[in-house]
Amino acid sequence: MSGETHLAAAYLGMIAALGIWTWTVFSRSKKLEERIKALELALSDGNESE
Amino acid sequence: MAGLTGAGLTLWLGLTWAPSVSIDAFEAPIAQRIFYWHVPSAWAAMIAFSFLFVGSTVWFFKREDWAWRMHVASSEAGLATGLMCVWSGCIWGSAEWGVPWDWTDVRLNTFAILTLLALFLVLGRKSQPDGIETRDTFAAFGIYGFVLVPITYIATRLWQIRHPGPVIATSEGSLNSDMGVVLALGGISFTILVVGHILYGMKLSQLELKFENLQKQYEERL
Repeated sequence: MSGETHLAAAYLGMIAALGIWTWTVFSRSKKLEERIKALELALSDGNESE
Repeated sequence: MAGLTGAGLTLWLGLTWAPSVSIDAFEAPIAQRIFYWHVPSAWAAMIAFSFLFVGSTVWFFKREDWAWRMHVASSEAGLATGLMCVWSGCIWGSAEWGVPWDWTDVRLNTFAILTLLALFLVLGRKSQPDGIETRDTFAAFGIYGFVLVPITYIATRLWQIRHPGPVIATSEGSLNSDMGVVLALGGISFTILVVGHILYGMKLSQLELKFENLQKQYEERL
């Protein structure tokens, strides 16, 4: 393998790791916020019907 | 965002602007440019492991919820940055030394153990039910694992086997000033990135706790 290939492989791997890490954190946050909103809505509906 | 932008700028400057190293001094001078992200990712991992130590210690002795959230967020940050460093180091070793790993080098092995510790904490937490005993066990690993941070830092000063010695903050440093600027930018960017990620991760752990509490309330209602 040439120096360029090593360089490309190293940076692609690091960019992938950084991208996966950042995407995982943001997508988890988005999903959680949606679920919390849905649960809060369900709980407030329950309170109103009581 | 500032951290990601800075990391992107570091990469661009490292590949296009920073001068090449001497062809005589290196087996693979082009692959040497790996170090503009390799060194900052190692630095970021050390910051993450320091946060892990603080979070683990405060949780273990004071049972503060923020400390557990810090433990969770920093173990994930330590894993991501540690893997970045190990991956790029293996590729550079393969280009420069002809082998990706040297099992006799103290720096390589202690850093790999730290990354494996972060992997154990992240995977272990996902497979175990959350509770005080589980948190205490993982926090104890976070506390004892920190012993490896100073050992990793001084390893190349005491036992320089294969990994290069320090090039900054030392009288023996021989880093070109332009290379130093790009490396410093990388260090600052990765510091902002890892601290930002840990703070955001702590907020995420708080959301997870809120979600679990709401779910319990909802289940009790049914």
